[in-house]
Amino acid sequence: MSMLHLNLPSLASGSSVKTGGASSAAAGTANSTTQQCYIHPVVLFSILDHFLRRNDSQDRVIGTLLGVRSDDGRVVEIRSCFAVPHFETEDEIQVDMEHHGAMFALHKRANTREQIVGWYATGNKLSKYAALIQDFYSREAAPFSAVHLVVDTDMSDGQLPIQCLHGSPIGIGAHPENCLFLPLPYELQYPDAELSALQTATDSADAQDGVAVLVSDMEQLEKTIDELRAMLERVTTYVHSVCDGTTQPNNVVGKYLMDMLAVVPKIDPKQFSTLFQTHLQDILMVAYLTNLTRAQLNIADRLQRIV
Amino acid sequence: MAETKQQAKPMTALLHDDNDLPAFDASNVPERLLSVLDVEKSTPLALVKVDPLAILKIIKHARESYPTSVNGQLLGLEIDGVLEVTNAFAVSTQPGSEEDMTSYQVEMMQCLREVNVDSSSVGWYQSTRLGDFMQQPLLDVQASYQASSASSSSSVVLIHDTAKSEQAGNLSLRAFRLSPTYLELAKGGKFTTKELASKGLTYGNILEELPIHMETSSLSKVLLHELQWPSGIEQELAESLQRPSSFNAKLRAKRLIDRSAVADDTEAASDSLDSSLSGLVPSRPTAYLSRPMCTNALDLSQGQSGSASLLRQLETVGELIDEHIHDAHQWMYWKRGEAKEKNRRQQHVQRRTQSNAARIARGEKPEPELTEKELDKMFKVLPEPSRLDALLNTANLNLLTKGITQSRGPALAKMYLAQGLQEPAKSQ
Repeated sequence: MSMLHLNLPSLASGSSVKTGGASSAAAGTANSTTQQCYIHPVVLFSILDHFLRRNDSQDRVIGTLLGVRSDDGRVVEIRSCFAVPHFETEDEIQVDMEHHGAMFALHKRANTREQIVGWYATGNKLSKYAALIQDFYSREAAPFSAVHLVVDTDMSDGQLPIQCLHGSPIGIGAHPENCLFLPLPYELQYPDAELSALQTATDSADAQDGVAVLVSDMEQLEKTIDELRAMLERVTTYVHSVCDGTTQPNNVVGKYLMDMLAVVPKIDPKQFSTLFQTHLQDILMVAYLTNLTRAQLNIADRLQRIV
Repeated sequence: MAETKQQAKPMTALLHDDNDLPAFDASNVPERLLSVLDVEKSTPLALVKVDPLAILKIIKHARESYPTSVNGQLLGLEIDGVLEVTNAFAVSTQPGSEEDMTSYQVEMMQCLREVNVDSSSVGWYQSTRLGDFMQQPLLDVQASYQASSASSSSSVVLIHDTAKSEQAGNLSLRAFRLSPTYLELAKGGKFTTKELASKGLTYGNILEELPIHMETSSLSKVLLHELQWPSGIEQELAESLQRPSSFNAKLRAKRLIDRSAVADDTEAASDSLDSSLSGLVPSRPTAYLSRPMCTNALDLSQGQSGSASLLRQLETVGELIDEHIHDAHQWMYWKRGEAKEKNRRQQHVQRRTQSNAARIARGEKPEPELTEKELDKMFKVLPEPSRLDALLNTANLNLLTKGITQSRGPALAKMYLAQGLQEPAKSQ
């Protein structure tokens, strides 16, 4: 029972797919379709890594998406994923269910909260078995519908489009192969901690050899300030060009700029200078004390060696 | 459906379908990997290269269970002194039997091997909150990693600090190995002052730090570019600039989602699932005009979380100093006891020689000299207590104070930045 064989009914009449289960699953999902999807960047990196490590003969990989849902199942947050080996021929597809089950059980042990929310595939168009796999994952994700994430690793137009889809049954009578994939709005989520890593990864992507060295906080700050200055420069040039009349003024941009300026808090100069001074003293004090402690430790260590 | 395992085999053997497994030929191996085949040669580890995937997995695990410290396995390969960490998986924090843990890790690695993930363990990772990760268990685990025969030369522990990464907007990840000096001493199990001094083990060289590089695959580079500038954003941006109403809509859609793990921490460990889902209101992507990846590096961190974490750090420093003093007192106590015993022993020997001299002068037979062994028996010197705890304590103190000192630099810079922002307002 470990290998899921899915045949297109038109090609193989004796299909082993449990149609009875499928229809009940489809009925259960009808009133709780997913409406919004949030994706964590780690999922995308995992998919790409899986694609890079595929077997020679494969041109597409699939896997299971894990995540959490809101209570009504309308909002999905995809938090992680794992690869599932599969084997595709002209008229048959085999999905290693044993692996899928084992991996999910293992995942459960480290992270009890995440459930199966859908599946992913690579490639620039839907596989012809997508409907069948979708049906299987809908049952896994019951009582909610499954989400399908497609990452176009072919990069046909030089980009890496990411698509989020959800299946919707069409036609009279619930057949697993009758499925219409509809696009689902998605948004990427960047928690603060991940952002710092992505920032470094971006640095490595910009570098010639694709390698980035982890820098200290001070260097990172310097880089950020440089970026800030560049942004200010751009805005200043734009404002000047508008004032000179060379560029057509735009109300929306103007509103944004006004909004930005309003963010700067207005503080009484006297109050600010007191705040500044006290805080400066705090910082220096802390730095002084910690340095003193370190010096003490060093002395203690050296004395011990003399003893 | 019945042919289960028989099917699984041809699938994994697909790779070798057409070439019928010829005799192993080293010339087919890429040059880069040749050194892996050379079992006898050993280059010392000099660099750790981490894939963004592994880092993201570590961060996710650490963030979700913040502030509890978590750990997990690192998978990868060592090539010519460079340790490539390409994947990682979490290990459950729930208490379980030792066998459960081992079987879990073995099963996980088997599963990952089926999908061609590097399946050799190259170490482990741990998350830390304040930076005082120098603990006895960590050293023990790392020692067992470095002692296991299969990967003796290549095993690191990656230390990740969630709070620091979030606040400074800079990834805090460090790679460590136990130094040979420590391993040598740990083998003997004696951490006395004399041994420490003769081997030169100080609080600074228990662990060796290795530099970390982050290497991104070409495909990931495309993804990163896509994340920064999603396809079609320019068009969308141009459109939104033509619609005056779009401005108000975007203002409302500001940071609905709670992105920070640290903030959760202060709210009495509220269920992060609920808090993250309650924020999931369908909304427009937040700010088009800024880069989507914008870190907290410029945050003044005068806010709640910034000063609170500094406070906690300083409190810990205080505790560690107390402990340090306690350790020092204990050692002094022992030293005094030892000196007293030594004194008594010397006096005894002196008395013996004096009385012997007197006996000889009187023409009597002198008493036999006491041997070292007899003396040792008469005056028992307490063995020196292990200095390891004190050493680790000092190491933690050093790490913590160093971290605080280093974080003060950017704080100072940011303050002057804020001053610069206020100054033109003054002149107006």
